Amino acid sequence: MTKHEKVTPQIVLFLQIMSISLIWVLVVSVIWWVLNLISLSNYLHDAQNATLAISILIMPLFILLAGILTYVFVGLRRNRFEDDEHA
Amino acid sequence: MDDLRHDPDYTLFRPILEKDRRFLWMVSVLVGLIGWSIYMYMRQWKYGLSVTGLNNNVTWGFYIINFVFFIGVSHAGTLISAILRLSQAEWRRPITRMAEVITAIVLMIGGIHPIIDLGRPDRLMNVFYYGRLQSPLLWDVTAITTYFTASTVYLYVPMIPDIALLRDRTTKFRWLYKFLSWGYRGTERQKHILERAMSILMVLVIPVAVSVHTVISYIFSMTLQSGWHSTIFGPYFVTGAIYSGTATLLVVMIAFRKMYHLENYLKEIHFRYMSILLLVFSLLWTYFTFSEFLTGVYGNEPMEMMVIRFKLTGAYAPYFWSMVTLNFLIPLIVLTNKKLKTIKGILITSIGVIIGMWLERLIIIVPSLTNTRLPLVVQTYIPSLTEWSLFIGGISIFCLMFLIFSKVFPLISIWEIKDGRAEGLEEAKGRLESYLPDQTLAEGRVQ
Repeated sequence: MTKHEKVTPQIVLFLQIMSISLIWVLVVSVIWWVLNLISLSNYLHDAQNATLAISILIMPLFILLAGILTYVFVGLRRNRFEDDEHA
Repeated sequence: MDDLRHDPDYTLFRPILEKDRRFLWMVSVLVGLIGWSIYMYMRQWKYGLSVTGLNNNVTWGFYIINFVFFIGVSHAGTLISAILRLSQAEWRRPITRMAEVITAIVLMIGGIHPIIDLGRPDRLMNVFYYGRLQSPLLWDVTAITTYFTASTVYLYVPMIPDIALLRDRTTKFRWLYKFLSWGYRGTERQKHILERAMSILMVLVIPVAVSVHTVISYIFSMTLQSGWHSTIFGPYFVTGAIYSGTATLLVVMIAFRKMYHLENYLKEIHFRYMSILLLVFSLLWTYFTFSEFLTGVYGNEPMEMMVIRFKLTGAYAPYFWSMVTLNFLIPLIVLTNKKLKTIKGILITSIGVIIGMWLERLIIIVPSLTNTRLPLVVQTYIPSLTEWSLFIGGISIFCLMFLIFSKVFPLISIWEIKDGRAEGLEEAKGRLESYLPDQTLAEGRVQ
């Protein structure tokens, strides 16, 4: 790090942890929303099967995407000092 | 920084490192246009949809046309990029990044349009509180959100090695590159992690992309409206989407090739291959259009015929035949003729296809609404200045975001180019050898 750099590695790390957390906040929000839609359709007795079918598709997709990103972010950070020969 | 000037791929770093007056000039024009469209939208917010050309019959106009059009264009990216990566087409290397950026930006713009179309945007949150998943409109919300998330991830993950390169070799935006590169140093483990993630993403993104435009077609085909209630609308929309996306990608490639002097990277062969793709989709689109109209005409259902006549010989005939000319005749003439299939010819054809595909969305949406099953007077739809302004605003946002992206990240994947030079040649040779029959076995049989 040079003298002029104001952003310390700690700030970068904080931002990175925040971004992973935000990804999971998004996933949890989507799941919460979908669960809300399921309960609403149940309450109204309105196309429950279709609602369930669509929900089953959406939720794992978001979890998978967030999982991939977390895997990449954590994996890259963990292996950043690893020597090529020992990898 | 100095050693960067000796890098064989310095051209790719140049837009980020060097100041460009043209960039500032273009940004100011685009910001002006966006400012104007924001003002027009504020006016619409205040006075409601009465400032648009929408009426009792035509409740979906420019905004929904643009929504379908922009989401369609987004298929350029991820789908083309994923298919080229999956099929290990070596010529993909300088193209994929641009395609992926188009997707992410255009999806954002397209996604905003249904909100612009709302007379009461303050009620938007009701979709989240009281949404009902039996409605194709809500399928759209979920499909577009999923596709946007997937395509942004798909743009970002393959960009990490390039961001790390910028972090190590430039002084601009270092904090941003440090944050976004996640400590990437190109170790074998890190490469393996990225490759694994990319392999999953490129497979995942294809069905997501296809589902998005299929779901958009359902908004229309799930209704009993004449001209919309069709079983082929799903594949028809997907084909049209990839078609308009390919054309947009070609226009962007040609424009930035000229602007940033990328002639050494985006060679004629890339345009030739892409134009073959464009021609294939032109023919596919024509086939679907023909099937759609033939079944309608043959069925001779009175209401269906009213809409078809309105398109073929009525008020929308000039748009319909312009669409046929731009989407079928011109591509067929230019792209099958060696003399005409130059970069200039491809550019003109691609611009024509973009206009033609926009007209296609217009022709699908408006005539079915003007000729309703209800005993209403046929009302024509004339878009207002507000709608035109917001349309131009949408295009300006696209241009601005693309320009800004090109000033922060490389438009061509540098690591993929370097990787292609270092390993791609050997890999391609090995692959070719694996396709061909084993020579020793063949010789043995002869003996």
